[in-house]
Amino acid sequence: MILTLHTRRRMVNVVALALSGAATAIGLLFLGWILWVTLKNGISALNLQLFTRISAYGAEGGLANAIVGSVFMDLLALLLCVPIGVLAGVFLGEYANRSKLGSTIRFLNDILLSAPSIVLGLFVYVIVVVPSSQLTGGAVSFSGVAGAIALALIGLPVIVRTTDEMLQLVPNTLREAALSLGVPQWKLTLQVLMRVAASGIVTGVLLALARLAGETAPLLFTAFGNNFMTLNPLDATASIPVTIYQYTNDPNPAMHAIAWAGALLITLLVLALSLLARSYLKRNRITYD
Amino acid sequence: MTEMLLDTSLPSATLTEPESVQTSSPATTKLATRGLNFHYRQAHALKDITLDIPTQQVTAIIGPSGCGKSTLLRVFNRIYAVYPGQVATGEVLLDGENVLDPAYPLQRLRARVGMVFQKPVPFPMTIFENVAWGIRHHEKLSKADMAVRVEQALRRAALWDEVKDKLGHSALGLSGGQQQRLCIARGVALHPEVLLLDEPTSALDPIATGRIEQLVDELKQDYTIVIVTHNMQQAARISDRTAFMYLGELIEYGATEQIFTQPDKRQTEDYISGRFG
Repeated sequence: MILTLHTRRRMVNVVALALSGAATAIGLLFLGWILWVTLKNGISALNLQLFTRISAYGAEGGLANAIVGSVFMDLLALLLCVPIGVLAGVFLGEYANRSKLGSTIRFLNDILLSAPSIVLGLFVYVIVVVPSSQLTGGAVSFSGVAGAIALALIGLPVIVRTTDEMLQLVPNTLREAALSLGVPQWKLTLQVLMRVAASGIVTGVLLALARLAGETAPLLFTAFGNNFMTLNPLDATASIPVTIYQYTNDPNPAMHAIAWAGALLITLLVLALSLLARSYLKRNRITYD
Repeated sequence: MTEMLLDTSLPSATLTEPESVQTSSPATTKLATRGLNFHYRQAHALKDITLDIPTQQVTAIIGPSGCGKSTLLRVFNRIYAVYPGQVATGEVLLDGENVLDPAYPLQRLRARVGMVFQKPVPFPMTIFENVAWGIRHHEKLSKADMAVRVEQALRRAALWDEVKDKLGHSALGLSGGQQQRLCIARGVALHPEVLLLDEPTSALDPIATGRIEQLVDELKQDYTIVIVTHNMQQAARISDRTAFMYLGELIEYGATEQIFTQPDKRQTEDYISGRFG
């Protein structure tokens, strides 16, 4: 044996380090590349018209209606999924934590979390869009509400999961201390546990927003798209991701430029939300060791 | 007699005659167990425990890790019931009433039997709110009365002088020893009759430990105190009576002096002299 144990271990260490380092570099390379291409093409297409003109003008138009539609549907989606998600997360974390029911719901929630978003879009098409078109007498009624419901289904499992996980991070000693004062569970949950978990839950909500803001597929059969500005939730509604999808299918390069600008806007929004979530969590985190 | 006991154990009660009558008869039982068994899934954690805890004295429970001493304490205020699969059978009598009876109101039990845990766990609120929060659930007090109650509790826990100028600050900024005294203040603020202390100094430095021990000595004038400790010197220093437990059984129970100088049982002697545990 020429190699001592020591040298052999050092060699294995160098190989392992090189392989994992290379894998990280490959991942970062593609991320950097995507960001760079988006930035390069997006920035050159950015102009004021993007924010002032609607997409009805085509290549001479902008994304004003898509931006407003996206913000409108994203906020409406949050309004739908945050209360349900947080309450369901509290149920899992505090009331059904160790039960069979709890682990079953957790499993189903994870399935929803990884469900293909186009399936969620189709589901909302069948349960919302089709019935509402029957109400309106046959016209297919794509609507902002339907879009928001589809997006809420994307955000919901994210919020359920983070709320559940944040509550599980709260040490049991805190629960025991509060309950030993003769205080009921609901007061403990509302006034102590939610306060400890709040920063984590807010972070989860921001990440859910980042996730649903970039979704295209759930909106294709629900909000559809609209070349005009609308704030009527019962109208078909434009969104940035769907507009990007439509414009990239257009042969006109001027339309591609607008799509790149939209892509940049969405990317910056998601980036900003992620950074905001991280810094919020860092500043407001309450930890018990 | 029961009524009188209830009254005099309130810290706000003045030192009147009934109090002195009572201290002259120290054998009055506040808390007792009768044939208490405790199961955690398959494990039989407490085996047929019967003991009487006298009023306004400090009773220490000692024994090696896993002997069931914390479990016993956790039965007294039924905090064990937070977790599924834990079952206590037998009787735990508080002033003669069986608190294990499902009909016994849990919130009232926990207001009467306070508990302080091993690790200080302040709530994520201000120092003032930490103390006021529990009171608010049980009593409707005016702002002024609440301020008085909080001050009383903090004085009682020997913390007032250190925090009186920062009652509005977060309790999470206090030192470990201060946090533990805040937890004691939180407990005594409800005017409990019994105070359960589960290794209250094991996470503290010697100076903070000394302060808590001194505090326990003062608090026994008003409360019946049960303290679990793995520190035998601590038990010898601060308790009037000591119970030695081993493998879920109560081996020996008697006056602290007797347990530490002339134990009846061989196992007690071995443990106290450091031969095991």
